[in-house]
Amino acid sequence: MRFITEEHLHPEYPLPDVDDPIMAPFWNGARDGKLMQQRDRQTGAMHWPPKPLYWKDGNRLEWIQAKGTGIIHTYVVAHAPFLPALTHLLPHIMVVVELTEGPRIVGHMVDTKPEQMRFGLPVQVVFKRLTDRVTLPIWEPARS
Amino acid sequence: MADSLDSDLFRRIQDRVAVVGIGHLPYAKDIGRPIGDTAVEAIQLALDDAGLEAEDVDGMSMLEMEATHEVSIARRLGVRQLTWWDKISYGGGASSATIMHAAAAIASGMATTVVCHRARNRGAKTSRPWSQERGVVRDDKALHTPWGLIRPVDVIGMWAHRHMHQYGTTREHLGNVAIAARKHANRNPDAMMRDRPLDMATYLAARVIGYPLHLFDCCLETDGALACVVTSVERARDLRQKPVLVHSVAQASGPNPVHLANYNNSPEMDTTAVWCAKLLWERSQLGPSDMDCAQIYDAFTPLVVMGLEDYGFCKRGEGGPFTEGGRIELGGALPVLTSGGGLSEAYVHGFNLLLEGVRQIRGTSTNQVPDCKATLVTGASGVATSAVVFRGE
Repeated sequence: MRFITEEHLHPEYPLPDVDDPIMAPFWNGARDGKLMQQRDRQTGAMHWPPKPLYWKDGNRLEWIQAKGTGIIHTYVVAHAPFLPALTHLLPHIMVVVELTEGPRIVGHMVDTKPEQMRFGLPVQVVFKRLTDRVTLPIWEPARS
Repeated sequence: MADSLDSDLFRRIQDRVAVVGIGHLPYAKDIGRPIGDTAVEAIQLALDDAGLEAEDVDGMSMLEMEATHEVSIARRLGVRQLTWWDKISYGGGASSATIMHAAAAIASGMATTVVCHRARNRGAKTSRPWSQERGVVRDDKALHTPWGLIRPVDVIGMWAHRHMHQYGTTREHLGNVAIAARKHANRNPDAMMRDRPLDMATYLAARVIGYPLHLFDCCLETDGALACVVTSVERARDLRQKPVLVHSVAQASGPNPVHLANYNNSPEMDTTAVWCAKLLWERSQLGPSDMDCAQIYDAFTPLVVMGLEDYGFCKRGEGGPFTEGGRIELGGALPVLTSGGGLSEAYVHGFNLLLEGVRQIRGTSTNQVPDCKATLVTGASGVATSAVVFRGE
């Protein structure tokens, strides 16, 4: 599992609330190098965004480690003006990845040029450490 | 028959409630005073247009985002007492909903005359909500903002790019939308872009903002204040203007909603407009083919291409070709954004689309569709949204 570290975290970086009770398993997993997804253990249905544990069928929910692979469902390439905290990444390729398990999640690419991008491109997860508590799952083209 | 058609409330709304007054201040990059002031001025203009007094008003509906204060506005207008008021969330998703909520309040007897308004100062670069994102993000925002996905152009760009890939929608198709809106604005003295023509070569040469979207795919950033007055058809008949009937109304979040980055609501990654359109037409005696023009929310050009499909003017995937051959320009089969819309008149969360819908039914648009009997006005389809059908008597 590949980890990278943000060397110069901008003081205004929009960090996620990793203590959110619904999302905590996702963020805790990312810190440990696991892409976590929620599944209904009875029907096998995947839920993204995750459903709350007090959902009517909450006792059927479980978090599983996803393979960390998927394909590019759609993407955009941001140019300036952009968020000050991410301006150093421009042109910034943001993606909607369709995970091998089914759900579509938002992410961004790393070490990828815009001209490498295409619909259906197989990708694999990379974990980017922003702080001690926050690790962001991001994506790179899959090495076959 | 759908349950919603059996509802006594919808029967009491349909063609029983009317928009009787509209007004707006001149659109500007810097309007020079706070929205609490401009809201009062715009509402007064709409009341003057209707031939009503502030004492006639007992209800107020507005957008929740960057809202103004009901009692302050009421006091400064001279309203005797408010008996009903309401703030509706999700920015550009909410403008048509102000009419729906006002109509529901009137039909149910909670208010007799409601003023709906939008006042917004967004002309300054520093006023953009996305540029103010910092610190810890929670709830829905944590699903997309940490990766940098927060500018509306990027959020919508995800849908647009997928649409281009899946259906062969081209930049020229998006350009047709921008140019139609601009041509209409060039004939609208109130439009910010009244003196600025736009041709396809200029459109295509513009700088990229968030690929695949470029400068002229994006709406303006405007200071504006707009209002309309809604009351019962019985009262409307005694007033100054030809009543514009509220024929059908709908609001919809779509399933499994996420504010903004709503990419898991269906296998097709539909926008919220699909569900809003379904309700709107179920509740309507009219259909898409009865619309003489359409004001489709246009924060970005692809929302119009997708909106043409979502609201049933063409099949899924045909929104791009639908824009060809002048079909969406004045004189075409379905003129769209006849005031110039958010792209070229003013970007005020789509409230200007409501005013233009009213003008078209009255017959007073500067891009008047001959004998316009019915028009559709929609909200932003990337977020929980709303729509309304206006018709003449």
